[in-house]
Amino acid sequence: MSLVDMPVADLPAAEQVLVTLGFMRLTDAAPLIVARELGFFARFGLEVELVREVSWANIRDKVTVGTLDAGQMLAPMPLLTSLGIGGLRCPLLTGLMLNLNGNAITLATGLYGQLVGSEPPPEDPLQLSRALARQCAASGQRLTMATVYPFSTHTLQLRLWLAAGGLDPDTQLRLIVLPPEQMVDSLAQGIIDGFCVGEPWNSAAVQAGAGVIAASGYDVWNNAPEKILGVTAAWHDAHPGTHLRLRLALMEAACWLADARHRKQAAELLALPGYLDLPRGQVLPALLGQHQYRRGGPQVDNPDFLVFHRYQAGFPWRSRGECLLRQCLELLGKGLPDAEIAELVTRCYRTDLYRQAAGLLGWPCPTQDHKAEGAHAAAYELEPGVRLGADLVMGVDGPDAC
Amino acid sequence: MLVDDHPQRAAMVEAALEGCGCRVVSMLPTASGLLFQMEQHQPEVVVIDMESPDRDILESLSVLNQHQPTPIVMFAREQDPQFIQQAIDAGVSAYLAEGVDPIKVRTVIDVAIAQFARYQALRRNLEETRQELEQRKLIDRAKHLLMAHQKVDEAQAYAQMRKLAMNSNQTISAVAAGVVAILDGEQGEQSR
Repeated sequence: MSLVDMPVADLPAAEQVLVTLGFMRLTDAAPLIVARELGFFARFGLEVELVREVSWANIRDKVTVGTLDAGQMLAPMPLLTSLGIGGLRCPLLTGLMLNLNGNAITLATGLYGQLVGSEPPPEDPLQLSRALARQCAASGQRLTMATVYPFSTHTLQLRLWLAAGGLDPDTQLRLIVLPPEQMVDSLAQGIIDGFCVGEPWNSAAVQAGAGVIAASGYDVWNNAPEKILGVTAAWHDAHPGTHLRLRLALMEAACWLADARHRKQAAELLALPGYLDLPRGQVLPALLGQHQYRRGGPQVDNPDFLVFHRYQAGFPWRSRGECLLRQCLELLGKGLPDAEIAELVTRCYRTDLYRQAAGLLGWPCPTQDHKAEGAHAAAYELEPGVRLGADLVMGVDGPDAC
Repeated sequence: MLVDDHPQRAAMVEAALEGCGCRVVSMLPTASGLLFQMEQHQPEVVVIDMESPDRDILESLSVLNQHQPTPIVMFAREQDPQFIQQAIDAGVSAYLAEGVDPIKVRTVIDVAIAQFARYQALRRNLEETRQELEQRKLIDRAKHLLMAHQKVDEAQAYAQMRKLAMNSNQTISAVAAGVVAILDGEQGEQSR
């Protein structure tokens, strides 16, 4: 899909030209970094400062009080923050999903060795999960596994993978949270036995010889929602023009990233000191969809390992918002009536804002806000021109996986 | 409990807290086993530097689990956005165990904010003093270069620079930097 020549001058004016955007040191910060470095923000008349943050809590709090105008956020964050779970209560919303997938589950090299023994490593991530359950049962070992934030796709994917193999994540393991930068060290030191985290931290563990990738996020939940562009409802109301231009720039950046030929250049940009500040070789595997699951092992190809733009990746499906919210509430041992969940998701996942931007770009866009999960093993056409990716969820059968 | 990578600042906060009757059960830098420390000390309040990535660990303790019997939640006075803004500007965040009286805790956080702000001011002063010293050194250097080059005395050299600064609407240190750049270069040429 080529970039459309849009008459930028006809767009609603930007109420604010200088915009500060928070991001984390993760490969899926790519649309923000590309939009800044390749001039997509500038094309829409915005001067964007990208601020590297050290915690998801910081991005949430700084966006909430206005120190940041917007931020890269975990997909459930606008919903939970609007409810006041975890910290400040503030109505947040998103009109753009930044990417699908991008995480992986990595086990300590020693533990992986115990699971596979001298046999050739199983290709199937479900088999590995079953082997892990058998190993835990036989040894009576209680493993410690980490994610980077309690209310994240990472946590949900790790729990799904463990449960699919027959482990109860609540009673048979210890699940903790660690900052991404501490994952590889903690794995190498034996403080944790495995983790589920976004790239480049899985590749960093593999390249250091500390870990082996057991499953990609995609294996566990095909094309799962991952990061969003989050703003407060108040900021959106006061700056609809700036918000629209931000989304347009990021959508064009994501579209640029969808072209596999651009991914090497993207890796150069991400590796820069101001952004991920890591060797290019750690950033590349996720961007190319070419991983070594263990050091010295064969290359594993998955062109959908980290999806930008493709499969309507930017569309903030309300069905997915509801699904994420339900699962996070379950973690908290809380419940909400269906009507309240639907109402909250309608306020936070603004499909109308996505459609507005997609319309201006001349891109096809779903006409419905809900879709099935767990029903498609391959990409399919939902409506004319609207192609979606596979959506299977490991260990969950049927079209109502959520 | 205090989590801060700046030991001086942590000491300031500790002293101020103990001064108003609080007991700091643990002071630790980032990435040093926060979960273990939490289990050990079961603090009522955790004050943490906003720039510590360990914040996300604390957020996870809002979920009830057997290792952390008391959920820890972020201190957020919903009615008081100004207070939150103030805390974030100072770089302070705080979490408290469920059931702890937020009113009582307010003092702790106020103290931390005040000390963080004081530390920031001290750092700024230090930085200003350092810059001032550097500028003075630069002006001295420029003066001596001018004295050697123009064969004038110190007062005349300084007067020349001041006049140049006034005429060109620059600060005297900017002029000094220019003088050093030009004359140092010349000296280098000559000595080669």
